[in-house]
Amino acid sequence: MGSAHPATARRMRGRGTALLLLAATTACRGRVPLVTLEAGPAPSLRLVAASGVRINARLKPALELDGGRVLRFDSPYLTPDSAYFAASPTAAPVPPGGPHRGTLRASVCASREHFCRSVELAVTW
Amino acid sequence: MKTRTSIVVGAAVVLVVAGTAAIRPAAPRGGGAPAPELTNTSWLNSDRPLRLAELRDRVVLLNFWVFTCGNCTRTVPSLVAYDRKYRDRGLTIIGIHTPEFPPYAGEHDKGNLARALARQAITYPNAQDNDRRVWDAYGIRYWPSFVLIDKRGIIRYTGYGEFHVDDGDYREWDRRIQQLLAE
Repeated sequence: MGSAHPATARRMRGRGTALLLLAATTACRGRVPLVTLEAGPAPSLRLVAASGVRINARLKPALELDGGRVLRFDSPYLTPDSAYFAASPTAAPVPPGGPHRGTLRASVCASREHFCRSVELAVTW
Repeated sequence: MKTRTSIVVGAAVVLVVAGTAAIRPAAPRGGGAPAPELTNTSWLNSDRPLRLAELRDRVVLLNFWVFTCGNCTRTVPSLVAYDRKYRDRGLTIIGIHTPEFPPYAGEHDKGNLARALARQAITYPNAQDNDRRVWDAYGIRYWPSFVLIDKRGIIRYTGYGEFHVDDGDYREWDRRIQQLLAE
């Protein structure tokens, strides 16, 4: 889907050690997000699904860091059929310092749609 | 520090809410066109790679799926039911197993796919589409998706989304299969 909005990236990088997230290129096009990446309990990131969107737990979301390291998101709380996360999954430990760049991948399923789609976002923090 | 973190994350959330995509579904490449040939080399439940050119005079239902997708696995019982009902009457169901993630997620692994087939009692052929070549050739965007091909190798119906034995979508696909078998 492309890289994060550069102006936003510059703003965010000035915020010290706080974890943050950045959006995709579509962030500038006025659409509703399927997932949001937030700072979790340090040093972790939390992936939050939009209302009505479920995150596939059988394919744990991944944050591919530049350099080849892959962080996987997970949570012990699943739906009864174990297909989706019942609580926002987190990934840790997030490397300290920054700026870091990576690619977030998640498989998401909107409950009203009955199919899965892949989300791929370039992120910077 | 806590306050600062909240500010940063809050800004990011607003940015994303302003933003990211809820992509409107689009159907796979439409009906009436010749079905692109299958090019997969790795198959399960088949002793050799299958090609559509060999399947003229049979109706072919392609199911694009991946075993990590709940919508896909919940639809499998319907496909198994079609296979039992129509295989001897001229229907060939082919699973096109297309991973969502890179290989580190395990979806590309043939052993994992074999275990998923066994778990779901799938006996119809399945191709590994690890390079997404067939997925792309058919213009697929969602898991699961379906392409119904007539006896002349023409795409007649396409669609996507989970369905269950005896629900409305199941009966509609059943009707379509029967129609093409009768031609």
